[in-house]
Amino acid sequence: MKTWAEVADIQPLAGKILMNSMKKNRISHAYLLQGKRGTGKENIARLLAKGLFCKEKNGIEPCHSCTECKRIDSGNHPDVHWVIPEGQSIKIEQIRNLQKEFTYSGLESNQKVYIIQGAETLTTNAANRILKFLEEPSKQTTAIMLTENSQSILPTIRSRCQIIDLKPLNTRDFQQQLLEQGMTNKNAALMSALTNNLNEAFEMSNDEWFASARKIVVQLVEMFVTNPKDVFLFVHNHWINHFKDKTEQEQGMDLLLLAFKDILYYQIGNESSLVFFTLDDELLQKAAMSFSQHMLIETLDAVLQAKRKLKQNVQPTLVIEQLALQIQR
Amino acid sequence: MKFIIQRDQLIASIQDVMKAISSRTVVPILTGMKIEVKQHGITLTGSDSDISIESYIPAEEDGNVNVEQIEEGSIVLQAKYFPDIVRKLPEKTVEIEADENLKVTIRSGKAEFNLNGQDAEEYPQLPKLQTDDSFELPTDLLKSLIKQTVFAVSTMETRPILTGVHIKLEEGNLTFTATDSHRLASREVPVSDSNTAFPSVVVPGKSLNELNKILDDTEEPVEISVTNNQILFRAKNLNFLSRLLDGNYPETSRLIPEQSKTVLYAKTKELLNTIDRASLLAKEERNNVVRLNTQGDHVINITGNSPEVGTVSEEIVVQSMEGEELKISFSSKYMIDALKAIEYEEVKVEFTGAMRPFIIRPANEDPILQLILPVRTF
Repeated sequence: MKTWAEVADIQPLAGKILMNSMKKNRISHAYLLQGKRGTGKENIARLLAKGLFCKEKNGIEPCHSCTECKRIDSGNHPDVHWVIPEGQSIKIEQIRNLQKEFTYSGLESNQKVYIIQGAETLTTNAANRILKFLEEPSKQTTAIMLTENSQSILPTIRSRCQIIDLKPLNTRDFQQQLLEQGMTNKNAALMSALTNNLNEAFEMSNDEWFASARKIVVQLVEMFVTNPKDVFLFVHNHWINHFKDKTEQEQGMDLLLLAFKDILYYQIGNESSLVFFTLDDELLQKAAMSFSQHMLIETLDAVLQAKRKLKQNVQPTLVIEQLALQIQR
Repeated sequence: MKFIIQRDQLIASIQDVMKAISSRTVVPILTGMKIEVKQHGITLTGSDSDISIESYIPAEEDGNVNVEQIEEGSIVLQAKYFPDIVRKLPEKTVEIEADENLKVTIRSGKAEFNLNGQDAEEYPQLPKLQTDDSFELPTDLLKSLIKQTVFAVSTMETRPILTGVHIKLEEGNLTFTATDSHRLASREVPVSDSNTAFPSVVVPGKSLNELNKILDDTEEPVEISVTNNQILFRAKNLNFLSRLLDGNYPETSRLIPEQSKTVLYAKTKELLNTIDRASLLAKEERNNVVRLNTQGDHVINITGNSPEVGTVSEEIVVQSMEGEELKISFSSKYMIDALKAIEYEEVKVEFTGAMRPFIIRPANEDPILQLILPVRTF
């Protein structure tokens, strides 16, 4: 997504809104771009910034080759400020520095842009601090906030921005793309459910850790079906040893979620949507027999809750133990 | 790009430029130093985006050749390594060469360094020099203007505009004003070329402090000009640019009382020392308050008091005193700063009652003005 034409292709609605406001020279003072990973938030933000700075625009399309555009690409433009979460969140100190920067005149022009990545991670203090600044910017300032979940942003911030929703990517298209690049059918389905990034998908499908993670999830599901009493042991012997840090644990939860979703889909006959199991998998049929629909829905809910707990830094061993007990019931 | 340069010259320039480079910067390219090579000389640039310093080494100066074998071009080098490398090179001359892949070779004697450079196009473009609308000041005058005002800028970020010094040129008079809303310092100097149109600007106090450090105490002129975003101080072979503070500076002329009820003349040194002594027992958390009482026509009494520690009281004979009797309290720290900024032997202090700001000026009517707000102590 390097040009507006490409944006309009992938995000027709958002692209059109932004392109029209560019054309009519009615850029809002603050945007909130909302979209899942891989929907091109950063690219759109960069395009907006280029549109404001590029001196050799062709219509609304920036040239991508002048020094302004090049420096925006490399992050060296002195009047485009990126705020990126430091660790888990955006701290008040970062916002303070940003505000200090904005009391000065621009370095090269009067136009200034700041882009806040992961705006949902703004701490409450930082978010409150940015409020007034967002509402009464100094002259010619454009704020672009990027988020995956606009609901976890303060409503007071939301109401001060023009919200642009980016629609989720079509997983089918991505799956097709993966197949074209030579990934196996089975892998492609799973990868398209887990990520939106082509390189990441290939990396994961070739990753040994991921392969065994997948095996462990299959074994766990099998345990639930055949030998529910030993699930607890299995969790301690295998699961905890394998899923060590937070991202790994979250990925494990994602896999487990997809597995149970597949079982539910199989039961209700939505067989074309399977991603984790294949249709002829024996385990899938067995699992579908041993869980009732009601139980499956409760299980899915439990997995989602466990995921949330991991995000909230609950002790991971306890989370998976509790989840195992909940599913066992 | 290629050139051979005298190492001493290069080191001196690098030291100037390094003052502007900070390792903690958001823009990655600003951790580097830009080297621009032209047939007439070499320009080094450093910046932390608030201030930028350009140092120029002419190819030839007073018949001496500084730079030889010049091939034009420009490159950005890591400021973390480049200065140390140059400082420790073995020979008197340094050869620096960059190829089109941004690989830089530094040679001196038998030592050879290969560094990775960055594209100079990525570096912020500093505004082009505008020679119209500029005026000149002797360096030492500029330095004392800075010293006499910059201490009064606010350090609080709540009103960012007050962290700067207001510079204004009107009817041939150049005025520097700084205030943190408890005190105010200003000074006027006449400027020779009075017909330049010079917009009034607010320059960050931090930048002026840096400028004060980098300028030598000479009488050589500094040329000052303003482009729309930056102010440029141009000394010999050195350009100092600072960004400006955005916003309107508060109107300060109305704050200065025109009439006074009590006027006293005193020796600056004596008054300063007395207040300094009294401030020893003035508590920091209570604004360093000291008290001044007039006693007759020639004596004032200065007291400092902190109940837990003790009291101090000192009488000082002043040159003369006119007007009403007065009891007033004020911050000794502000008073000391103000008296230090006045570089004359005698001062004139004008009071308009205990609750109104008072003014300190040199007795000879030189337009230095220090204004301090009193502290209410009852």
